[in-house]
Amino acid sequence: MSLPPPMAVDDNAPEARLGAPADGASALELTDAGGLAKTPMWRIRWRLFRRSIGTMWALFSENRLGMFGLGLILLFAVMAISHPILMATVWDPGVYDPVNGYDAVVTEYTVVEEITDPLTEIDLQTARLRLNPTIKPGAVVSIPTQPAPPTISGENPHYLGTDAQGRDILSQLLYSTRSAFFLGAVAAFTTVFIATAVGAIAAYFGGWIDGGLMRFADLILLMPLLPVLIVLSAVFEMTMVLLGLIIGVLSGFGGVAIVLKSQALAVTVKSYVDAARVAGGSDWHVIFRHIIPNVLPLSFLFMMFGVTDAIAIESTLSFFGLLNVPMTWGIMINSAQNNGYLLSGTSFWWLLFPAGLAVSFLCFAFFLVGRGMDEVINPRLRAR
Amino acid sequence: MFKFLLGRLVQMAILFVVFLSLVWLLLQAMPGDISDTLVGNPSIPLSVRLELRESLGLSQPLHIQYLTYITNFFRGELGVSFSRYPQDVSAILWTALPRTLVLFLSATLLAFWLGFKTGKLIAWGRGAGSEKGLIVTGIFLQTVFYPWFAIVMLWTFGFFFGWFPIGRFIDARLWQGSPFNANEIFGQMIVSVIIATVIYVIGRYLIKRYARDIVTQTRLGQGLAAICVGALVLFWWLHPAAVYVADIAHHTMLPVMTLGLVAFGATMLLTRSAMLETLGEDYILTARAKGLPDRVIRDHHAARNAMLPVTTSLVLALAFVIGGGIVTETIFSWPGMGLIFLQAINVSDIPLAVGALSITGVLALFGHLLADILYAVLDPRIRVA
Amino acid sequence: MTLSLEKLKARQIDPTRPLLEVDRLVMRYHIKAGQVSAVEDVSFTVHEGEAVGLVGESGCGKTSVALSLLRLLPSNAEYVSGEIRLDGEDLLSLNTDEMRQRRWKEIAMVFQGAMNSWNPVYRVGDQIRETLDTHYRGVMSYTEQRQHMERLFSAVGLPPAMLDRYPHEFSGGMRQRAVIAMALGCSPRLIIADEPTTALDVIVQDQILKELKRIQADLGMSIIYISHDIAVIAEVTDSLGVMYAGKLVEYGPTGTVFARPRHPYAYLLLRSTPSISGPRRQLAPLEGEPPDLLDPPTGCRFHPRCPFATEQCVTEEPPLEEIGGGHRVACWNHEDVPELEGALQR
Repeated sequence: MSLPPPMAVDDNAPEARLGAPADGASALELTDAGGLAKTPMWRIRWRLFRRSIGTMWALFSENRLGMFGLGLILLFAVMAISHPILMATVWDPGVYDPVNGYDAVVTEYTVVEEITDPLTEIDLQTARLRLNPTIKPGAVVSIPTQPAPPTISGENPHYLGTDAQGRDILSQLLYSTRSAFFLGAVAAFTTVFIATAVGAIAAYFGGWIDGGLMRFADLILLMPLLPVLIVLSAVFEMTMVLLGLIIGVLSGFGGVAIVLKSQALAVTVKSYVDAARVAGGSDWHVIFRHIIPNVLPLSFLFMMFGVTDAIAIESTLSFFGLLNVPMTWGIMINSAQNNGYLLSGTSFWWLLFPAGLAVSFLCFAFFLVGRGMDEVINPRLRAR
Repeated sequence: MFKFLLGRLVQMAILFVVFLSLVWLLLQAMPGDISDTLVGNPSIPLSVRLELRESLGLSQPLHIQYLTYITNFFRGELGVSFSRYPQDVSAILWTALPRTLVLFLSATLLAFWLGFKTGKLIAWGRGAGSEKGLIVTGIFLQTVFYPWFAIVMLWTFGFFFGWFPIGRFIDARLWQGSPFNANEIFGQMIVSVIIATVIYVIGRYLIKRYARDIVTQTRLGQGLAAICVGALVLFWWLHPAAVYVADIAHHTMLPVMTLGLVAFGATMLLTRSAMLETLGEDYILTARAKGLPDRVIRDHHAARNAMLPVTTSLVLALAFVIGGGIVTETIFSWPGMGLIFLQAINVSDIPLAVGALSITGVLALFGHLLADILYAVLDPRIRVA
Repeated sequence: MTLSLEKLKARQIDPTRPLLEVDRLVMRYHIKAGQVSAVEDVSFTVHEGEAVGLVGESGCGKTSVALSLLRLLPSNAEYVSGEIRLDGEDLLSLNTDEMRQRRWKEIAMVFQGAMNSWNPVYRVGDQIRETLDTHYRGVMSYTEQRQHMERLFSAVGLPPAMLDRYPHEFSGGMRQRAVIAMALGCSPRLIIADEPTTALDVIVQDQILKELKRIQADLGMSIIYISHDIAVIAEVTDSLGVMYAGKLVEYGPTGTVFARPRHPYAYLLLRSTPSISGPRRQLAPLEGEPPDLLDPPTGCRFHPRCPFATEQCVTEEPPLEEIGGGHRVACWNHEDVPELEGALQR
C-alpha cells in the first residue's frame, strides 16, 4: 500500500498545484469548475494521511498478538516513567539508588552443623568465625546479608530483593528500562534513517552509485555484529549513545538497506515519479516527496525489529562487562556472575530472573508489534 | 554454473581483503600502537620484545606494514599470542576452530532441519490448535535474551536434572592417564562424521538418478540415512576409545541444543510464512488437480519452493549463530574460538583477538558462499543469471 | 494422430450419451462477512465428444463451477445441494482418495494463466511424468513413459527435447501448449479449459484453439471451454451456456444462442460486440455492475440492470425453461427480447 506524499511545505510550488495521487478522493470533490483546489492541499493531504493511518490501525488492532505486544511495551513505558517518580517521592535515595544505594538487610539465620537451606541457615564454622566463637547449633543470629531475598514489609521493602552489593533489584530493573528504551530508540532510528537514505538513493540514481552501495551492504552483511562490537568496545569507551549510534550505523548500511532499496525501486518506476520530474522537480525533491513516503511504512517496520536487536546486543555486551554504563539489565546479570551467583538457580532467583525476563519480554513485545505491522503492510499474510 | 561459482569466489576474495584492511585499520586506531602493548607486557622478556618489534616490522612505514600484514595473513602467520606466550596465534586458533565449527554446524543443521519440518507441517495444517502455541513459542525462542537463556538451560539440564555435564569440553578426571589425546580423538570423530555424510550424499544422488518414483526415493533415502548413522555409532561403539568419545559427545550436546533451540524458533517462523506464501501459488492448485497425494504436494512441491527464502535467510542466521556461538562458549566454558576471542579481548591480547576476528570473518564468508551455492542448486532460475 | 497405447483406453464415442451431468448444483463460500452465493442451481449436461462453452463476466461463477467438477475449491466452500454425475456416479459423494484417483485421469483441467501452472524448480518432463506415475503406477515403464510424453509434445507442436528443460526456459505460448500436453497425458474423457487463450497474442490464440479442436476430434474427448470472450467460444463450441451472478441464464446449441439470444443479459452482451460484417449500429453497453453475491438481488438476479424487467422479475426467480430445440432460458420476459440486428454469423 502507498501513502500519499506528506504535507506540502510550499503550496505555491508547481508540484503542489499538479496535485499528488489522491487515494480515495475524487477530483471533482476537491476542485471547483476551473480545476483549482478549493481546499488547501495540505489539509487534503493531512486528511488522507489520517485516513490511511486509521485503516492501518483498524487492521493492526485485529491482530491479537500485536496488541499484546503493544500492551507490553506500554507496561514497560510505565515502568520507565515510574522510576524517577518513585525516587522523588516514596523511595529514599540512599537506600534505593540503583547504583549507589545500600540497604543492610538483616536476615535471621539458624546455626546448624550442615546447611540444607542457604537462605535460612548458617553453618557452625562461619558463625563462630564471624560472630562468636562460643556459639552453639540451634542459636538464631541476625546478620546483614547480601544478596537478600525479597521482602514485602518493613521500613524499606525490597519487592525483588537486593543484589550482592545491597542495592534494590526493583529499582535497578526500573531504572534500566529507561536506558533500554533510549538505546533502542537511538539505534533503531539511526538504522532506519541511514537505510532509508541509502535505499532511496541507490534506487533512484542507479548505476554505479547503486552498485557501490549494494557491494558495501554485502560487506556489512558479512560481518557478524557481536564480535565487531566486542572489539570496538575494547577500543573505545562505550556509552549508551555511542553504542546506539554505532549499532545504528553498522546495521543501517546492511541488510535493511538492501530490502528498502527494492521497495524504493518499486516506487521509482512508477509513472508519477516521471511526471514529477517532467514538471521540474529536482532529484532530491522526488526522493523526499515521493519515494521516501512510500518506503516509510516498511522502514517503520524495521524500526521495531531494530529495537529488538539493539536491546539484545547491548544486554549481551553489558553481560560481558564491556560497556561503560552505570546500570542496565545486562549489567545486573553481569554483577550476579561476578559475585558467583550465576548457577544458583532457584535459591537466588531474583538476581537472574527479573533482569533476564525483562530483556526477553521487551524484545518479545517489540517483535510482536513488528509482526503485527508486517501483516498490515504486507496484505498477503492476512488470514481470510 | 561454474562461471557463477568463480565469479562469487572472486567477489568473496575482494570482500575479504577489504574486511582484513578494515580490521587492520581498527588495529591502528587502538590507543597506542602494538609496540607499546608489547613493551608494556611484563611477561615477555625485553630481548624478545625488541626482537618481536623488529620482526613485526613496526619500524617500517605504514603502507609496508599493511602489505606485510595482509600477506602474513594469507601465509597463515598471525603472530604470537601475548597471554599464552609463546604459542603461535595460528596454532591456538587451529585447535579451537574445529570445536567452534562443530558447535556451529551441528546447531545450525539441527535448527534448520527441525525448524523446517515443523514450519512446513504447521503451515500445511493451517488452523490447527497447536499452531498458535507453536508460533508464540517460536517467537519467544527468537527474542529471548540469549545469555540468560543459556544460563537457564545450563542450570536446568546440567545442574538440576543432572543429565548433562556443567559445561566444559571434557571431563578432565576421566581423561587423566588415558592413552588418547582429546584433540586427536575429536579430530577423528569429525573425520568419521564427514565420511559418513559424504557417503550419504553420494547415496542420495544415486538414488535420485536410478530410483523410479518419489515414494521409492524417499524410502530408500530414509534407509540410507539409518544405515549411515547406524554404521557410525557402531564404529565408535566398538572402538577402544569408546568411553572417551562418549564423553566428548556428551559434553557437546547441551551447548548444541541450546544454540540450536534459539535458531529453531526463527527458522520455524520463517518456513511457516514461506510455505503459506507458496501454498497460494498456481502450481500448487495444478498439483492438486493432477490428483497427486497430499504428502507429495506438501513436501515435493510446496516445501521445496519454500526452501528458497529460507536458504536466503541462512546468511542472516549466520551472523546470529556466530554471535550466539561466542555467548554459548562463554557460558558453557566450551574452549572454542569464541571463548578464546573474548578472553583475548579481556586481557588485551591483540594478536590473538584480531586473529580470531579475522578467522571469524573467513567463516562468515564461507558460510555466505555456501548459502549462495545452495541457493543456486535449489533454484534453476538463478543459474542463468 | 492418435495416441494408441494399448494400456490406455481406446475411445468409442456416442454423442447422445451424457458424460457429465451437473444437476442443480448449489455452492457457497463462507467468509467473515457471511455467505457468498457463488453457484446457484446450475444444471447442464456435457455429452461424449461435445464441446461446451461457459461465458460470463468475471465473478459470475463459471470458474467456481469448473473447480467444483474437480472438487478443488478451498476449504471455506460448501456444496449445499445438487450432484455432479460422471458416468452416473456422483462425484460429490466420493471420499478424498476416490476423488483424487479420478482427477486428471477422468477429468483434466487447463487453468487460467497456465504459464504459472508449472513449478519453477522442476523440469517440465518430470512434472508430466508425475501424473503418469500417480495414475498409471506400475503400468508403464520408464521408457514407455518417455515415449508417451514425446508423442504428447509432438501432438501440441513442441520439440520433444524441451521435456528436459525448466519452465522458465519456455515462452508463454510454449508453456500453454505444454500444459495442454500435460492435461492430455492420462487420456482424460473431459478437459476443462479455463480461459485458455487469455494473455496470449491473437496468432497464438488461433493456433491453440485449432490444436484443441483437432485433438478433441481425434481423441473423442469432451471439452468445457470457459471464457469471457464470446468470439473465442463461438468458434469452437457445440453448446453454449451463459452465466450471470452464479446462475445459468441461457443454454443451448451455440448457433442458436448466438443467432437469437433470448435472455436479456445474453442479448445485451452480444449486442455490445462490434461486428465487422453486419450493419453499423450504436454500441449499447451494459450499465451498472454485477451484484454483490453476499447479498444478491431478490427474484431474478439480473433485474436491476435489465431493460425488460417487470414486477414479477423483482419477486420471483425465473426457472431455466426449454423453449425449443434444446434452447433453455431463465427469463420471465424472454419473448420481449428483440432479434439481434445483423445477427452475428458464426
